[in-house]
Amino acid sequence: MAQSGKGKLNYRCPSCFMRDLDIDMFYDKDKDEYYCLRCQYTGTEADVLEKNKMARFRYKSMLKRYTFED
Amino acid sequence: MDKFIVNIIHRPEMVPEYAEKVTGHGKEEDIGRDNLLTESLDIFRTQQEIAHKNGLKTTIQMTYASLFNEEAIAIAKEHHEVYGDEISLTLLGLPCTEFREKYKTKDFCIWMFSMEDKKSIVDDVFGKFFETFGFYPESTGSYYMDADLTNYIKEKYPSVICAVATCWEEGPKAYHTCNNSWYTLMDGGPWNPWIPSKQNTHAPAANEAEDSGIVAIPHLSRDLIACYDGNGSNFGTHPQNVLRGMIYEDGQYPYLYNIIDQYRSLAKYNNGYSYNMMFVGPGWMNKMGRWEAPYELLRQSYEDGMAYYGDLKKEGKLEDMTMAEFARHYRKKKTYTEPECALWKDILYGSEKQLFWYADPFMRACVNMDQGGAIVDLRPYAAKLEWQVGIGTKHVQDASYPFLIQEKYRAGYFTHYAGEGTVRSAKLSYNGEEVDLCLCRTKAVFSREEDTRILTLDPVDIEFRDLTVKLQTKISFEEGKSNIKIERKILSMSNPDAQIDLNEYMVGCYGTTEYPEDMTCITLEAEGLKETTTINYEYKCREAEALNAKSVSATVSAIKTKVSMTMVPVLEEKSTEINSAESMNQKEALGYVKEGYAFSPMFTLGYTTKLKDGEVFATWLNLEREN
Repeated sequence: MAQSGKGKLNYRCPSCFMRDLDIDMFYDKDKDEYYCLRCQYTGTEADVLEKNKMARFRYKSMLKRYTFED
Repeated sequence: MDKFIVNIIHRPEMVPEYAEKVTGHGKEEDIGRDNLLTESLDIFRTQQEIAHKNGLKTTIQMTYASLFNEEAIAIAKEHHEVYGDEISLTLLGLPCTEFREKYKTKDFCIWMFSMEDKKSIVDDVFGKFFETFGFYPESTGSYYMDADLTNYIKEKYPSVICAVATCWEEGPKAYHTCNNSWYTLMDGGPWNPWIPSKQNTHAPAANEAEDSGIVAIPHLSRDLIACYDGNGSNFGTHPQNVLRGMIYEDGQYPYLYNIIDQYRSLAKYNNGYSYNMMFVGPGWMNKMGRWEAPYELLRQSYEDGMAYYGDLKKEGKLEDMTMAEFARHYRKKKTYTEPECALWKDILYGSEKQLFWYADPFMRACVNMDQGGAIVDLRPYAAKLEWQVGIGTKHVQDASYPFLIQEKYRAGYFTHYAGEGTVRSAKLSYNGEEVDLCLCRTKAVFSREEDTRILTLDPVDIEFRDLTVKLQTKISFEEGKSNIKIERKILSMSNPDAQIDLNEYMVGCYGTTEYPEDMTCITLEAEGLKETTTINYEYKCREAEALNAKSVSATVSAIKTKVSMTMVPVLEEKSTEINSAESMNQKEALGYVKEGYAFSPMFTLGYTTKLKDGEVFATWLNLEREN
């Protein structure tokens, strides 16, 4: 099994992101998955993207444009 | 007319932070790689172009490394001539082959070097700048500038009048976010520009004698709710912050504009003045992408951010200044004791929470309206604590200004099962039931009466089993007084003949991190009318009290700070105006101090009294330097 490397973008671990930790993941080409060195998360690129969407749950006003008067 | 001022700052960082770890992954370390230098310069040039095409001038903070690069120097000279950009000098971006060969270290944060090295590096960098441009810079900066460093620079290079001097609330939270590997521990400073004192950068100067001679600006303008609770680098006026926080969808990031607008709105609390700064290096905008975002989105976010500032300028709502221009403007506009105020609203989580931040030469305080107006963060600038940092000092990395109250690091109202957390609040009790105002969510309005800034909170209802009490809190900050006045008024009771007990209290400790410090340096005193009771802190859970105490206090010698509570003469008549001048009278109250214990390393100061319908009780929270 060869060593892991960076993926095409520096995806962070979505599980750690949700606990305010920025941990770059590494890519295992044999398994075609990203994995976290700190916690037990593993996932494909599609899974990472899906979980990143989920991580935004707390930003209820993320897409709201407040007016200056607000 | 309100004035919204913006500083746009770029730095040609030839070896950007992150570069070796991110773009250089899998390669042996070589900070002189040609493609690294070329890409960095290209990004710097792109950032300059984006600002200029939106009609914005910049401050170009030359790095030490860039002073060895002819192309970077030529760009700076040209843009100074053509666009009026200021050529400045940063103490960030030190790493380069020349620096490493001379100083034999990989350290790169100026405040962490020994004082001897700080002086040597400053002389090297300023000397190289002079050799290159024929003059000394008017502005400089780093992520943090400790007081000794600033004092040395000002003494040796008096042309310097402005500096990037801290990152707001970049401390243990940022450290944790970076897997405990990013040592920018510098909590406790102002969020908007200030004049640092000679004693401590975070603490503003109270007068000319304390004036360090520079105007400090923060590194980025940050979200005063989101950064207080979360990673600072996710919530600020740097597009990369917003991308790093994943606060976007389908290339849309209205949050970036919402932060800018909320900063604009702070003019109404600060004599018509408001401020923003965007300070970016090249590292985040590299072709490989950053934080899941491809290069195209990185670039687009910067284009959009600058376009927003540019549009505001075209509409006459923004004035762009260089750092030195801003420092001159600030000196004309601000007095030493004028506070910086911000009634900040949540613009991200949909919680409608409100925090009020207040900073002056004597304190930085945060009032949380979602906790009934409790003070949840308190930094005693009145002590003007000398706090050397860097190799050879007691604090090699930790540059934070110590707190007396910090609800995130030392709990606030909520603790697990036992003990207490730091907070300044009040409890009401009646017939064996007790309610803390921390559980009364409310909102506040800001007003000003002469030199006093006032927060008037919307009344809250406290429901006991057989009594409902409507109570209003008013918090006043009188300019130059080093104290906070907190008034509670009973507006009505369901039983007008009832009497409730009020306990005004502050639970405090000291420190800069989550972890407890040695409390045996603390002396508690209850000063009665005839005698004073003293408790030297030994974790023995002791208490002392005095009827109508003149003051109850804690002296924390480790941070040269004395904090006390005193009573304010109060009204007895029913009045709709808390401050109306009828029948001032001293109410009877019991002052007390409480020592903590090992599992609750805190101290408590407070007064208890009885209140009837229409009555008011008020106390001052006072801060001073020990002795």
